[in-house]
Amino acid sequence: MTETPTPILTLTKVRKKYRGREALKGISLQLFPGELLGFFGPNGAGKTTMIRCISGLLKPDSGQIRMQGSANSDASGTARLGLVPQNLAVYPDLTVQQNLEVFGRLEGVSGRTLQERIAEVLDWAALKDRTRSLVKTLSGGMQRRLNIACSVLHRPSVLLLDEPTVGVDPQSRERIYTMLDELTAQGAAVLLTTHQLDEVETRCHRIVVIDHGTIVADGKLSELVRQTIGRPHRVFVRFDQPYLKELPAFSFDERRTSAKCAIDSMKELPQVLAVLKQLEHEPSQIDVRSFGLQDVFLELTGRSLRE
Amino acid sequence: MILTILRIMYLRLRNNPLELLLVFVMPVIFFSIFAAIFSNGIATGSDKKLRIGLVCAEPTLVATDLREFLEANSSLQCTSLNDNQNSQSLDDARESYLIQDAQNSGRFDLIIKLPCHVPTDEADDPSTVTLVTDGQNSMAVAMVKSTVNAFFSQKQAQAFAEKFSSLQRGGKDTAQIQNESSSPHDHPDSEIPKPLDDSFFDVPMTPAEAFRESKTGQLMATDEHGVVRAGETEAIVPSRWTLPESVSPDRSSKAEDKDQGGGDLTGDIDDVSILVENPQATSQENPRIAMYAAGIAVLFLLFSATGNAAALLEEEESGTLDRILVSKAGLFHIIGGKWLGIFLLGGVQISVMFLWAEMIFRIQLWKHLDGFAVMTVCTAAATSSFAMLMATLCKSRAQLNAASVVIILSMSAVGGSMIPRFVMSDRMKEIGKWTFNAWALDGYQKVFWYQSPISSLQTEVTVLLGSAFVLGMLALVFSRRWKRG
Repeated sequence: MTETPTPILTLTKVRKKYRGREALKGISLQLFPGELLGFFGPNGAGKTTMIRCISGLLKPDSGQIRMQGSANSDASGTARLGLVPQNLAVYPDLTVQQNLEVFGRLEGVSGRTLQERIAEVLDWAALKDRTRSLVKTLSGGMQRRLNIACSVLHRPSVLLLDEPTVGVDPQSRERIYTMLDELTAQGAAVLLTTHQLDEVETRCHRIVVIDHGTIVADGKLSELVRQTIGRPHRVFVRFDQPYLKELPAFSFDERRTSAKCAIDSMKELPQVLAVLKQLEHEPSQIDVRSFGLQDVFLELTGRSLRE
Repeated sequence: MILTILRIMYLRLRNNPLELLLVFVMPVIFFSIFAAIFSNGIATGSDKKLRIGLVCAEPTLVATDLREFLEANSSLQCTSLNDNQNSQSLDDARESYLIQDAQNSGRFDLIIKLPCHVPTDEADDPSTVTLVTDGQNSMAVAMVKSTVNAFFSQKQAQAFAEKFSSLQRGGKDTAQIQNESSSPHDHPDSEIPKPLDDSFFDVPMTPAEAFRESKTGQLMATDEHGVVRAGETEAIVPSRWTLPESVSPDRSSKAEDKDQGGGDLTGDIDDVSILVENPQATSQENPRIAMYAAGIAVLFLLFSATGNAAALLEEEESGTLDRILVSKAGLFHIIGGKWLGIFLLGGVQISVMFLWAEMIFRIQLWKHLDGFAVMTVCTAAATSSFAMLMATLCKSRAQLNAASVVIILSMSAVGGSMIPRFVMSDRMKEIGKWTFNAWALDGYQKVFWYQSPISSLQTEVTVLLGSAFVLGMLALVFSRRWKRG
């Protein structure tokens, strides 16, 4: 019999009106230890407002936010949080070491413990050889890693990251996710917001899609696809000329130059290909692929521009 | 292409209200401030009057006469410092206290200590009129010196004329009068002077009548600004009444001048000296420099304080403030820490300025260290709170920069950091009291100029620390927007 894990962070019907509009409309969410949760949504969906509510920077109008049973306004609650803002929230005129020292002290870590933790995070963030460098002289990727490192000196049980990989190269992004994986492996819960679909798809254990202040989907990618699209894979065909005859299981576009068909598993693929083989006109393109987060996202949020 | 670049500049200016404010509104504000100071402040033909305090140990007729004489001068505004308006005698201690108190209040450009009597003949003891100055307004000294000279010249001439008249009525000829008017050692009995020419007195009125008319003010030689020019006091008495050299009494005493500036006292007044006293000058080398040091220090303190407080807005923009707020540090710690940092930096900044002034200009910092420390602590505290409030009220660093330039320069102009407060009109001085600069400068003035004890700084300390507390609390209140969005 498997034991149900206890959520480390629980949001219950959180509402928040921000700058004249309802940014959060009764958000309920749970975050578990060791989990990397991707928070995904269009611009203005309410992601940052939710992070600010969780971190205590905004007070919800109603609802409750609890960390391991205690409300986050409690000092013991906030002490377990780490926040990595979207911008570089470090002092560019200080060295790497000095930044780590001041943020460690602000989190209540001092003395020998602080020095040990600094050594650990420098190693963790691959910044050991740049300890004495001024932050403004570091590369963008290094600055991003330091930005995260400054938030983990007190070993938070929940780490909130607001788009941590904006403007970094693939190598640095890979390093950042390796760092986050190591954190979750140690039992910390990580909640990150991002616009990078591939990052969420490949890196996050669970995905939450938020739109207009409401959670519209919550689960693993395969679950989301099943919930929103129904079938996980798709066969897409394109014709040079409009194909006017009927094609079983396929749905055509208006001009009848392309058609698509959703399938449950790759086992169905030979049957679909057999149908395509019997067509009067040979398709100019046949594309088989699995549905991704973008499909789910567009399905859920539509194609209209936001903000 | 040039037009496109020009258009970009125009659009950026049009879309930036703060820049518009700095470009178009700021010069107008400054022009208005300086125009107000110079049109109503400095005596440039305007209604600015020199404020004269009068103190008299004994209420005498001459004191009343001199006061009336001074009051008749449209450039002077006279106030009696005596308790119960001259009705009681003052002992030396009370008199000194009144003078010091009046001087420290900063309400007077000059204080006149009147003599108890005026000698009318050789038998009388000589007397002294003392002009007590704080050295701020040298023009006041020159002007009042001339006016007082004029008064005693009139008095002396009037006395002589009346004596002459009475003698004439008694049947004496001019030789007798001349004889009686001259001192015995100058004109021994054996030497009978030559009688005066009758045409000298060929006038339609008596001297007494003429001098009574003098109270209308026509006797004073003034320049185009209504200021009596030093060295022209002889013009006060109409030339037709000036006695010939041989007849003129030769009993003039030399006026003393103890002012370090060493002003030349003109005017020969019989046995009445005019003494100029500057109590500060006797024990100070360069008190005025201390004032300039304070003025510049406060101005730059305000700028550096707001500059440092702007770091708070930078931290907000970068998200660092959010990170700190999520840490164990609360708003109180953040605002308190920043305030303390700005306060300490401000204290050091003022100290460096005064140390430099001490090294180069000898402002006697060590002698006034206690008062300096008190004023520096209070000034730094008030400016820190002001800077923190500005930072918590402004939404961005750009907004803070624009607002601080406008407010600080205006405060400095009105408060005396740019133009000494003593040249301002009373109204401008009153307006100046809404600024830190004025209170800080008044305090430093008391310390370095008047050399007042620390207890005299009570008002300045109360105002500055009170402002520091109130503004600091307001900053804390307004900073809550960062915590609760």
